[in-house]
Amino acid sequence: MTSMNVIEAQGLVRRFGAVTALDGFNLTVPSGRIVGLIGPNGSGKTTALRAILGLSRLDGGVLRVADCNPWQDRSRLMQNIAYIPDTGILPRWMRVRDLIDYAEGVHPGFDRTRAERLLSKTSVDPARTIGGLSKGMQVQLHLSLILAINAKLLVLDEPTLGLDVLYREQFYESLLGDFMEGDRSILVTTHEVREIEHVLTDVVFIRKGKSVLAESIDTIREQYLKLTTGATTNVPGGYLSRRTSLAGVEYLYRGVSRGQLEGLGDICIPDLVELFVASMQSEAVTVTEPHKETQHA
Amino acid sequence: MHEWHENQPIYQQLKEQVLHRILTGTLAEGDSVPSVRQVAAEERLNPLTVTRAYQLLTDEGLLEKRRGLGLFVSEGARMRAISSERETFLREEWPRIRARIDALGIDLTTLISGESK
Repeated sequence: MTSMNVIEAQGLVRRFGAVTALDGFNLTVPSGRIVGLIGPNGSGKTTALRAILGLSRLDGGVLRVADCNPWQDRSRLMQNIAYIPDTGILPRWMRVRDLIDYAEGVHPGFDRTRAERLLSKTSVDPARTIGGLSKGMQVQLHLSLILAINAKLLVLDEPTLGLDVLYREQFYESLLGDFMEGDRSILVTTHEVREIEHVLTDVVFIRKGKSVLAESIDTIREQYLKLTTGATTNVPGGYLSRRTSLAGVEYLYRGVSRGQLEGLGDICIPDLVELFVASMQSEAVTVTEPHKETQHA
Repeated sequence: MHEWHENQPIYQQLKEQVLHRILTGTLAEGDSVPSVRQVAAEERLNPLTVTRAYQLLTDEGLLEKRRGLGLFVSEGARMRAISSERETFLREEWPRIRARIDALGIDLTTLISGESK
């Protein structure tokens, strides 16, 4: 079971008129993993998620989610996945208690006892109306409802947008403590790379509708190195990116051993932010086929 | 929750933290260690990272699994930790310190008395 993929997407294409939102996008989410889909605004993140959730038709490519074709088997798909969008969509006029009744009524996999137990750990009062809750509390409520569904895959779109640090911390704590078990998986999009770096097991960087880097965090830790040096001669070639900083010149390498860089300067493992910036700026990071588009930032 | 440094994989850092606690005795032999889920949630780390750290400690005989109960610090873990740390020190740290002492020309008497001239 653990080797099964919850999401398999190959060569996804989605066009909106003249705009190509997904341009041969690939994504694999194995079960039991937490995959971050990271990209700047307008890179195709939301379109990819909508396709995965069966909310958007595709113009090309092959997509399987929890053994379903999301567009055709949407109701079957919904029994196995849960989703929190980036904006508050809970009905503001409803009382918390009534929303729980509603969730229990519409979703066959909803566990009321579990929802109430999760909610009791937060400061959300079941008697309040949703509109009267702070943004942070609304997210806590939404998460409690979602975590009470027995889902194989949880999809989160910018889940901590607009939350303060305390709520963000609590959010990830309950995600890791209350959702992750067995072969459940999470797909999360964000542009706050730093905040989820350690939560993720894998990252996929998306840029202009294409996946430009897809690696496990372990691979990144084992394969990538950053060299910061004052010298610019004798530096091994084949680096992914080069940038000048206060500390000197920084070179990013993949698959180069520490030994090859020893003595040239400071060597360390790059963090996700550095990798992200590098893959958004340079064409060299990926093995994408050359394409004729012009640079528009 | 705390900061991780960038020169080592996190599972390695987590492993060393547990090792350090075994060495200093704040985790005694026979004590249980927190579950993977608990550590993951508290440290905001993905569970695979935590599992990997625990696996390394288990492979080295410092932790042991008791069926249905979780992971415990095994008997003799402290001695094993000390001897493995001694080896690491002599192999990796000492040569560097030794080279530094030589470079600075500090003699044995000064070193042992701990006074600077």
